[in-house]
Amino acid sequence: MTTLTSPTQTSHTTSTTTAAADATTAAAEPALLPGGRRSRRAQLLRRPGVVVAVLYVLLALGTAAVPGLYTGVDPQQPHPADKLLPPGGQYWFGTDELGRDLFARVVHGSALTVQATLVALAIAVVAGLLVGLVSGFCGGWVDVVLMRGVDVVLAIPTLLLSLTIITALGFGTVNVAIAVGVALVPGFARITRAEVLRVKTLPYIEAARSGGATWTSVLRRHVLPNTWGPVVVLAVLDVGTAILAVSSLSFLGFGAQPPHADWGSLIASGRTYLVTNPWLSLLPGLAVGLLVLSLNHVAKSLEEVAR
Amino acid sequence: MSFEQSHAPSRRSFLGLTAAGSLAVLLSSCAVDPKTLEADPAAGTATSAAIVEGGTLRLAFTSDVYGNLDPNQNFWIESRSINRNLVDSLTDQDPKTGEIVPWLATKWEVAPDAKSYTFDLRDDVTFSDGTKFDATAVKTALDGIKALGAKASLGATYISGYAGTTVLSPTRVRVDFSTPNAAFLQATATTTLGILSPASYSKTPEARAKGDYVGSGPFTLTEYVQQQSIKLAKRADYAWGSGINANTGAAHIDALEVTFIPEEGVLTGSLTSGQIDVAWPRTPLSEAAQTSVKAAGATVLSAVLPGLTYNIIPNVNGILGDPAVRQALQKALDRAEWASTVFYDGYPVAKSVIDSTTPQWADNSSLLEHDPTGAKALLDQAGWVAGSDGTRSKDGKPLSLTLVVGGPWAGWDLVQSQLGEVGITLVQRVVTPAEFTTASNSGDFDLTATYFTRGDADILRTYYDQSVVKPGTGPGAYNQEPQTAAQLTTLFAQEISETDPVKRKAVFADIQKILISSGALFPLQDRVQTAATAATVHDLKFTLESFLRLNDVWISK
Repeated sequence: MTTLTSPTQTSHTTSTTTAAADATTAAAEPALLPGGRRSRRAQLLRRPGVVVAVLYVLLALGTAAVPGLYTGVDPQQPHPADKLLPPGGQYWFGTDELGRDLFARVVHGSALTVQATLVALAIAVVAGLLVGLVSGFCGGWVDVVLMRGVDVVLAIPTLLLSLTIITALGFGTVNVAIAVGVALVPGFARITRAEVLRVKTLPYIEAARSGGATWTSVLRRHVLPNTWGPVVVLAVLDVGTAILAVSSLSFLGFGAQPPHADWGSLIASGRTYLVTNPWLSLLPGLAVGLLVLSLNHVAKSLEEVAR
Repeated sequence: MSFEQSHAPSRRSFLGLTAAGSLAVLLSSCAVDPKTLEADPAAGTATSAAIVEGGTLRLAFTSDVYGNLDPNQNFWIESRSINRNLVDSLTDQDPKTGEIVPWLATKWEVAPDAKSYTFDLRDDVTFSDGTKFDATAVKTALDGIKALGAKASLGATYISGYAGTTVLSPTRVRVDFSTPNAAFLQATATTTLGILSPASYSKTPEARAKGDYVGSGPFTLTEYVQQQSIKLAKRADYAWGSGINANTGAAHIDALEVTFIPEEGVLTGSLTSGQIDVAWPRTPLSEAAQTSVKAAGATVLSAVLPGLTYNIIPNVNGILGDPAVRQALQKALDRAEWASTVFYDGYPVAKSVIDSTTPQWADNSSLLEHDPTGAKALLDQAGWVAGSDGTRSKDGKPLSLTLVVGGPWAGWDLVQSQLGEVGITLVQRVVTPAEFTTASNSGDFDLTATYFTRGDADILRTYYDQSVVKPGTGPGAYNQEPQTAAQLTTLFAQEISETDPVKRKAVFADIQKILISSGALFPLQDRVQTAATAATVHDLKFTLESFLRLNDVWISK
């Protein structure tokens, strides 16, 4: 399972793969139309892969928001007589070692996984934006102190960092989200700082300043809105990373409080039965894999079309 | 107090597993150890054939968490299995009857007050460094265990009240206690009181933990890498095995190689692909794993480990101070459903607070029946009223209990569901193994759970006599109301002074009944040691404590 990619690597990989994707797109569709939002959306919807990916992401978000809509079965209710049944008509995904309906568990697990991912990203974006903004805008010793701090965090392997945080905070879905979020902060801080440094030398900033705007209003009205574009792109790309990180930690047993299970803990608890009852791990694994793949596909396609 | 295992569960009893088409057979087909499950009886006739000498047995355990191989110090089940083949004990314990039989001691006398034991020793025994085994060696060993203090977490309780050892002659020795210790004779049969050579006790406890010691057992240690591997080689001049072995001389196999494989799937895969000969997991092999190894021609052996059953332990300084809640919890547990669901059909159902192979075991299944209606009635009477969602509360206080666990496990989910049926909410608090021990010892729980392996019910005194267990040292300091504690302390004092096994067993019957009926312990499962052996492995035996005994094992080509 992929663990957290270091943020520097992420941004690096992003730029190179984007370049490669541009090349292929250019070959496939030489007459890429310049155009507004509407034609971009039309282009996206003409790609069946994107449509399928978007639908799957919406499905996952739907199960996360209202799991009860998708299954009326109690995911915690054991049926000892029906344990370890293969997928079939009554139990779409089969049953686990206590005879619990795996489909219901995957659907309800989606809520925990997706919520943890969103919390993690919120932490990473907000904290990263704040650190990057202050650091880039103030410069000087503030920049030095903040960026050395970020360097220190970057130097620690992210999974190790997450494990350390979670050991300190205790087990649980929210704590997993915090641990993953904190580990993602440096990437966002770096990107934001770079953008702020670029933006703050531009003429319109100078103009605003000479027009008498205060530093805080310049920061709020001019620097920030022109900075967060790349941050949002990184955030979308990091959704996949965050899902994998959250699931990894749950897989290691730090996640959802039993008897609740998120996707990572479902994969982990099915491990024992991998040879004889492989669906116990494979189906939740498929749910994670498809969601990450779909998100990446959507993000990449958006990027291609936007250029 | 140490825990053999911090969370996970354990094992179960003898199944009548008959592995079709597998393994041939135990040699001693007429004197079959009942703890050893026989292979296909039809195939059994083929091999009274000659035992094959030589070969290396490759075995895999689950883990080596504490990395301590000193029999006097460790309490880890797997380490004790290895120790059994490295060191000998004064006595041995018959796996069939629980009776104590001669080994290094040929006979013994127990003083009527259980304060003095005199042993006559064999004079033909040597340690593997060439030193002769004699009365002085016994004295050095027991003094050495006493000197370990808290490092001998188990040994210290086995020799509680130890006053000293007197050498009466080179082959006669007397052990004295300041307080009665009727459990000492069984203790001499354990690896914990295994006799190391006198020179070993001049080494530091840390060095001994890493394997720097010498015993008089049928094997010697050739390599020990903590958490990785253990290698043993046979001792060719061994000739003093106890009478419960078919082979009292040198072992048939040349060597044993042990590795550690934590994942059940990898463990059984290693067995079926021929990379190991014996898989010896900590938790019983699942039904699925058993099916897959048997399909590959392996045999699954199993035995109930004696000692404490896997008991859930209440803390009476909370909601569980209400006796009605404890009684209701006892009735709410469906142990039969639990055993067949979490393990497999035929897994033994817990019938007391000690496992059924403990010599002093008494069947208390009538007190452990599943009775959800009775449980609900008790809670209703005690004022715990069910709300619209089925959960109960009293004066606005929800009936919610926190169970501290060392990791997620489906078994706890089922307990939670069973308690939920009668309106008791169970919250699982998952903590690290270190926190688990701290929380359990300091009373920071409503419910916790533990077990321990010993071939004598005195382990109940070690864990649940409040004159022994003080707050901060174990969960047993919190699970009894004062009057129950006083009653039990009196009975434990009787038990430990009673040298007549029959009378002692009767005292233990009372103790078990009180622990169950007062709701001081909630037995969950008998513990089972399973071991899967390849078709080439024959006569692998369990000790009474369900540890590994290699005296008789042989490998066919």
